[in-house]
Amino acid sequence: MLVLLLSSGAWASPPRARIEFWTISLQPFFTGYIQGLIAAYERAHPDVQIRWIDVPPQTIEQKLLAAIAGGVGPEVVNLNTEGTLRLAEARALVDMDDAVPPAARARYFPNIWSSTRNGGKAYGIPWYVVPNVLAYNRELFRRAGLDPARPPASEEAFIQAATTIKQRTGVYGFMPNIDGIRFLRIFQEDGLSILAPDRRRAVFNSAAHVQVLTRYVALFKRDLFPTDTLQRGYLGATERYAAGQLAMLTTGPQFLLRVRTDSPDVYRDTAVAPYPLGRGRVLDLPTMELGVPLASRHRREAVEFALYVTDDANQLAFCHQVVVFPSTRAAAADPYFTRAGQSPEDRARAIAAGELGTARDLTVVVPHSDELYRAFREAVEQAFYGRMTPQQALDWAVKEWNARL
Amino acid sequence: MTAYLFLLPALVLLATFTFYPVIFGTALSLFEYNVISPPRFVGVANFRQIAADRYFWIALGNSVKYLAVVPVLQGCAILLALWVHRSARGIGWLRAAYYLPVVTSIVVVGIVWRWLYDDAGLINFVLLRLGLARGPIHWLASPGVALYAVMFVTLWKGLGYYMVIYLVGLEAIPPGYAEAAAIDGAGALQRLWRVTLPLLRPSILLAATLSAISALRVFEEVYVMTSGGPVYATYTMFYYMFDQAFGALHMGYAAALGVVLAVVTIGLSIASFRLLREGGLSYY
Repeated sequence: MLVLLLSSGAWASPPRARIEFWTISLQPFFTGYIQGLIAAYERAHPDVQIRWIDVPPQTIEQKLLAAIAGGVGPEVVNLNTEGTLRLAEARALVDMDDAVPPAARARYFPNIWSSTRNGGKAYGIPWYVVPNVLAYNRELFRRAGLDPARPPASEEAFIQAATTIKQRTGVYGFMPNIDGIRFLRIFQEDGLSILAPDRRRAVFNSAAHVQVLTRYVALFKRDLFPTDTLQRGYLGATERYAAGQLAMLTTGPQFLLRVRTDSPDVYRDTAVAPYPLGRGRVLDLPTMELGVPLASRHRREAVEFALYVTDDANQLAFCHQVVVFPSTRAAAADPYFTRAGQSPEDRARAIAAGELGTARDLTVVVPHSDELYRAFREAVEQAFYGRMTPQQALDWAVKEWNARL
Repeated sequence: MTAYLFLLPALVLLATFTFYPVIFGTALSLFEYNVISPPRFVGVANFRQIAADRYFWIALGNSVKYLAVVPVLQGCAILLALWVHRSARGIGWLRAAYYLPVVTSIVVVGIVWRWLYDDAGLINFVLLRLGLARGPIHWLASPGVALYAVMFVTLWKGLGYYMVIYLVGLEAIPPGYAEAAAIDGAGALQRLWRVTLPLLRPSILLAATLSAISALRVFEEVYVMTSGGPVYATYTMFYYMFDQAFGALHMGYAAALGVVLAVVTIGLSIASFRLLREGGLSYY
């Protein structure tokens, strides 16, 4: 009887560390993958038990704060760069530069590792990255008299194609990524700085910045992109594209899955091309990180588990599940990413892999980010709705920023 | 003692979910607190900051504008209640149909109305087809229109709820009063104005107060349909509180905003009671 009990594990000692692991919206599509990951880790580390909780993206920060406040926060949490930096500003996250040994840090692309660096500390271990690509509707290209085999390769050509499509078909050509604070990215994609080199002064009110904003405001006034672009962002763009009411979509390749599910007809007409780069020849690289709250009771084990989730083999396996890209150099070098298949996702994968070299996360890291972002967002909206000229709007936002930087 | 025992379950619930949060929230308004670090006492600094905060004034202004929905909503609900307060074949179904939006999730309602309000949505389609508009109206993307478009959704969703309150009020009025007035020669409009509405005043007081409180606390419609935009045109007090608490992690400041909103709401409720306290069956 005793032998049976012992062999059944009923008398085994409880795990030394219970790690709660929060992810963003990975259920139900990736449930099997994450469960397999956890099972393998627990087999290799019998004294560690992992509890996985999947949280919707809109609520993860609120839930995380509530959990930390209640003393029941996770040990490892998946956040995007903006979320990581916001929580880091509140002194909620472990400094990964300090917690991760240099040899392990060296596995990651240095530019991606630096995404969450603020004040000399990096607050997240990079997980997967999703560079944007250009998806476009070949049928609408044909109706507009454009050659579907020659999609726009630059921001200039992109705007030109969008103008032609709207004029000739009545369907919107594009929804530029200008909602919220994403105009900061447009500036950077055009090679324009947001901050002075000492990062103590905002500089986005130069003549060049004003010119870029003026151009988009003029496009808006000419009704060349939908009026809800400033409110709806990429979700609105994806919905419109899936409904056949938008000719071009600049998006993370994973959103093509939504188009495939929602609108098989539009998906059949979809082709994928590299993201049309601005004059700065730099591409934004939205990054997902794993952070460890300072309140974690098992900080060492949590960091170890986060390193395991983001190691070469596991990232590569995840990239086989969906069109995302690894943040580690060895995984990204796998031939899988350069094999171009026939489907839009396969093409997107090959294209995006080629873009990784020119990409970096363009999130602007500033103190008092909520106040600064709010001022910038308001300034851009004031310019678009004609309540300020672009020059006045950017001057005002720069003044607000400089008062707080 | 037995009476207190019966009261105990409700008191426990009220203490846990109402009194404690009210006391905690009021105390929190005197602190700087971001959930992560321990709270720091700042006295009335949060309230001083509110006075100079332009976003607060924008949000308060929008919330006050939102109150315009109250008289329109009450007027429509009274008319609707008068219409369905009769025996007719299928009237039960009609009442249920008007009540349906009340029990529908506000998120679903918000998404559906967002589609309806779209440039290529049903409303613009109809207006353009009938020649009532030259181009699509940007219902949710135009700063001058968005707040009123969201208010209409509140009106549409709340109509059934207030209709039920007025129906109950109408059921309680004995038909003899209206009959006597009719014998005395009062027309339908006079009977409504001089008999029904004065007797309905307690219901009007209740419904107007409830809807005014709801209007000041509007959040979900804004969150789902406009996120406070465009250019803060639909940025209401509750949305600002949410933004400060969960976007900026300024929990103490958000609590101070909550205290200010509570004071405004209490003031408004007192005003409603003062204005509408006379009336009802017991008054006459």
